[in-house]
Amino acid sequence: MAKLIGGLGTSHVPSIGLALDKGLRDTPDWKPFFDGYIPGQDWVKERRPDVAVVIFNDHGNSFFLDRVPTFAVGCAEEYRPIDEGWGPRAIPPFKGAVEFSWHFIDKLVENRFDPMICQEIEVDHGIQVPMELFWGRPTKWPVKVVPIFVNVIQYPVPLPSRCYEMGHVLRQAIESFDSDECFVILGTGGLSHQLQGARAGFVNPEADQAFLNDIATNPTKLAAMSREEYVEMFGSEGAELMMWLVMRGAMDPKGVVRHKHYFVPASMTGAGMIVMENQASATG
Amino acid sequence: MMAQEEDRIPDTPFFDRKRSLRGYRINKMAMGLGDPANRDAFRQNEEAYLDRFGLTSEEKSAVMSRNWREMVRLGGNLFFILKISAIDPVQLTEIGAHQAGMDHDAFLRERLGKK
Repeated sequence: MAKLIGGLGTSHVPSIGLALDKGLRDTPDWKPFFDGYIPGQDWVKERRPDVAVVIFNDHGNSFFLDRVPTFAVGCAEEYRPIDEGWGPRAIPPFKGAVEFSWHFIDKLVENRFDPMICQEIEVDHGIQVPMELFWGRPTKWPVKVVPIFVNVIQYPVPLPSRCYEMGHVLRQAIESFDSDECFVILGTGGLSHQLQGARAGFVNPEADQAFLNDIATNPTKLAAMSREEYVEMFGSEGAELMMWLVMRGAMDPKGVVRHKHYFVPASMTGAGMIVMENQASATG
Repeated sequence: MMAQEEDRIPDTPFFDRKRSLRGYRINKMAMGLGDPANRDAFRQNEEAYLDRFGLTSEEKSAVMSRNWREMVRLGGNLFFILKISAIDPVQLTEIGAHQAGMDHDAFLRERLGKK
């Protein structure tokens, strides 16, 4: 059966991709941010996962308000970068893990999650940036992907506890998938940021640091928080953080934190990373 | 309709049913800018492009004056309206500062902790 070898968490701020496009990686504004990801990049190089399940939200690119799926799962052969207004970015398309996607969708529905099923969809910076942060800029991605889209924009957005529960189903799906492939799960978004309203520019480094601790040691506390508490504590767009709970819900209750990184501000966002392993499968 | 007065968290708009309905035209117009042909149309004759989406004169004036605070008040969601900045470049932090009613440098310093 397939094996879950790690849970990663990361921000997916679009300016990170833009900084790479413009060659700003080593400028004073960005170097400390990118350097903090080196241990995460080394971790994926060493552990060589075959499949990355990436939980993120679309940002008004693949989905408009005419149809808003609370949860959507991609099961396409390929996911091309979408035109977000500046033209599609020059990064390779992502190859889909089609068989697993369908298996996961089956497991979701059997467990009373009913996602939208996407056989053809383009993807935005929500998945591009996390992939670039961990795998750099390859000519071809060394992993297949499974995109999970969560609506965190138009209310009602799902409950954080629901995201956590979806993670349990994801774990079950991986461990019942007839394959010898190794999986990682990427929970993405956040950390604190607010792009709209008079409180725009709100960041909360203290809450962000606490989140990076709690996601490892006390995830049930984060899962029990209300959507309003997320917005109050992390800003209107900081509610994205609930997507990390899908990743965390798939991991063992007790996990081992391999790496952690925090940097503020990346553009207007408190940016963070975590690399976790399950105790049972942890190396070294 | 002063949506701000009803914010559950001060100065923090929830993009809920009311705002989504209110902002549908503006957001649909902005969503269209993901298509290069529409970006050209916007560049060539902005008002004619806005008219295609049935924007009211209040909405048109908010867009044409790049009044981000007003666009958000009228139900615009930043993820959609940000596409306007692909045509008429402005930094995200400038859009933030505008909404906060702050000078850009002060915004970077006081809200984002930049030195």
